[in-house]
Amino acid sequence: MSIMEYNGGSVVAMVGKDCVAIASDLRLGNQALGISSNFQKIFPVTDRIFLGLPGLATDVTTLRETFRFRVNMYTIKEEREIEPETFAHLVSSTLYEPTGGFRPFIAATDLIGCLNFAKDFVVAGTASTKLYGTAEGLWEPDLDPEQLFETISQTMLNAVDRDAYSGWGVVVHVIEKDKVTTRTLKGRMD
Amino acid sequence: MFLTRSEYDRGVNTFSPEGRLFQVEYAIEAIKLGSTTVGVKTDEGVVLGVEKRVQSPLIESSSIEKIMEIDDHLGCAMSGLTADARTMIDHARVTAQNHSFTYDERIKVESVTQAVCDLALRFGESVHDEDAMMSRPFGVALLIAGIDELGPQLYHTDPSGTFVRYQAKAIGSGSEAAQAELQDKWHSKMTLKEAQTLTLRILKQVMEEKLDRHNVQLAQVTKEKGFEILDETSLKAIIDEM
Amino acid sequence: MPDMVALSRQQPQERQFNPYSENGGTILAISGADFSVIAGDTRQSEGYSIQTRYAPKVFRLTDKAVLAVNGFAADGNMFVKQVRQRLEWYRHAHAKDMPLRAIARLIQTMLYARRFFPYYVYNILGGIEDDGSGAVYSFDPVGSYERESCRAAGAAQSLVQPFLDNQIYFKNQVPQPGMTHPKHLPLGTVGDGLEMFVVLAKGSPLYGLENFDGVQEMTSTHEGERIFVVRRNLKRD
Repeated sequence: MSIMEYNGGSVVAMVGKDCVAIASDLRLGNQALGISSNFQKIFPVTDRIFLGLPGLATDVTTLRETFRFRVNMYTIKEEREIEPETFAHLVSSTLYEPTGGFRPFIAATDLIGCLNFAKDFVVAGTASTKLYGTAEGLWEPDLDPEQLFETISQTMLNAVDRDAYSGWGVVVHVIEKDKVTTRTLKGRMD
Repeated sequence: MFLTRSEYDRGVNTFSPEGRLFQVEYAIEAIKLGSTTVGVKTDEGVVLGVEKRVQSPLIESSSIEKIMEIDDHLGCAMSGLTADARTMIDHARVTAQNHSFTYDERIKVESVTQAVCDLALRFGESVHDEDAMMSRPFGVALLIAGIDELGPQLYHTDPSGTFVRYQAKAIGSGSEAAQAELQDKWHSKMTLKEAQTLTLRILKQVMEEKLDRHNVQLAQVTKEKGFEILDETSLKAIIDEM
Repeated sequence: MPDMVALSRQQPQERQFNPYSENGGTILAISGADFSVIAGDTRQSEGYSIQTRYAPKVFRLTDKAVLAVNGFAADGNMFVKQVRQRLEWYRHAHAKDMPLRAIARLIQTMLYARRFFPYYVYNILGGIEDDGSGAVYSFDPVGSYERESCRAAGAAQSLVQPFLDNQIYFKNQVPQPGMTHPKHLPLGTVGDGLEMFVVLAKGSPLYGLENFDGVQEMTSTHEGERIFVVRRNLKRD
């Protein structure tokens, strides 16, 4: 069993026209046993950076604190907000020892910090293969924020419905230049 | 004539010099001793009718079974050595069940008839280590009635393993008179009801006893209800209307 | 006798022969009201090495049945061969082509007959039923089967199936007020594969199939069911 399957969970991020979106499921499990249907895996880093951390729940919590600490240290030392690309490298170097910009920017890393800067979408978690399939079929270039919301929502919902380890609701953040829209979607509870 | 025949009429697998298999021919003769059995096909379905010969007043007539179900859509009436028919109908039932198990569809009437006829010729002597086969030909003829995608059909089989499709057919002791009557009365626009009365009328003509609900049996195969043996109440109603 | 001493010290050894391999690839079938599309890629591989770029795994069985087999190619090819033999026997015994649902049941019995030494294959059967409707049947290696509207199997099953759920079954989609989702997709919206069979029911329109790139009709008359094959080159990587 992969360590990803211990608690389950999946994240997807997509690029639109002058916007990005990131979505995750809300399940926390103990293998096949469902524990919580409100377990957040996406965390705001700055006003326009969101980090999605699917994986072992204890590491999710630890890493959130680690990144909060390091980003705060960066902000104090540099006296400016961290750039998305810089943050991605911070994530990478931290892990080598987890993602999700204004140039629309998304990036993902694997468990050991290998960076993937994609121009379209990135996926992670137990439903990653399913997310690749649905995202590849649904995503188009230059989607506006509303279109991007619909695309990422359909991508996520249909992928997690075929994954026993993900699901129990979805949260979507659409990030624009000057605003972030967060919506919680109802999903299948089975 | 009888002398020459006796040399060849014992072995079931020996042709006579004239190219005949006497045991098979005798078996066909045996059927002519059986009770009269009639089958009539219409566009609505097929009717089977048999005479039950109640030789003694002490016989429970309901225990004489000469029409049997093969499958939901298939029925069979017999004449001759009815015990032999059990083996054949058993085979037909297994064949029909195997077909629906393997193909999820009802077996065709012709296919089940073919299966029964394949069995009819498995007599003769077994070869070295093979299991012993049947010692003689079956002494029974069958009328197999059924409905499939080709519609209602009626088949006749005899001990030689030959089968022929009929629109109406009579077998058994009264078959000659009965067949002549069928030829005269059968027509293609016949309703099921007409077929029921025709079957009973013919049986009545050829039977020695007076026909009643105890000494005949009537069955039918229809698209709606499949195979059914008519109970004494409905049989009585049809007899009364005759 | 030093050899005997050495022999006596030897640990028990276990040897195994694995008669199966996995040859990759993906198959996919979608049915509509009066048609069925069955597709499969044609690459055959073992591990990271490509054995051939053209080894079809979609096979025409009758005028209205097409079978796709994915998994262990040797088992797949032998299985199709045996199914075809059974179809011929059936034709001789019953004087007709085996109906689609009968083929489906036959495949189940053939697979289950090998319950304890299975054919390492996932089967998808597509075609036209006797009532003229398009149908897809999917099987697991030991014969569990189900009639469905769409199914993917093989290496990319996990990528394709949730997409199909969304686009064919309209999962997670809410129709416009007063509207309903279409029960069947029109043929034009069904995508392409590397080798794709389209079976059209008797008297069905062509849905613009005649203008399709790389299409070839396999049937010679226009009277009965018509089968078309579309061959496309995808990325050769």
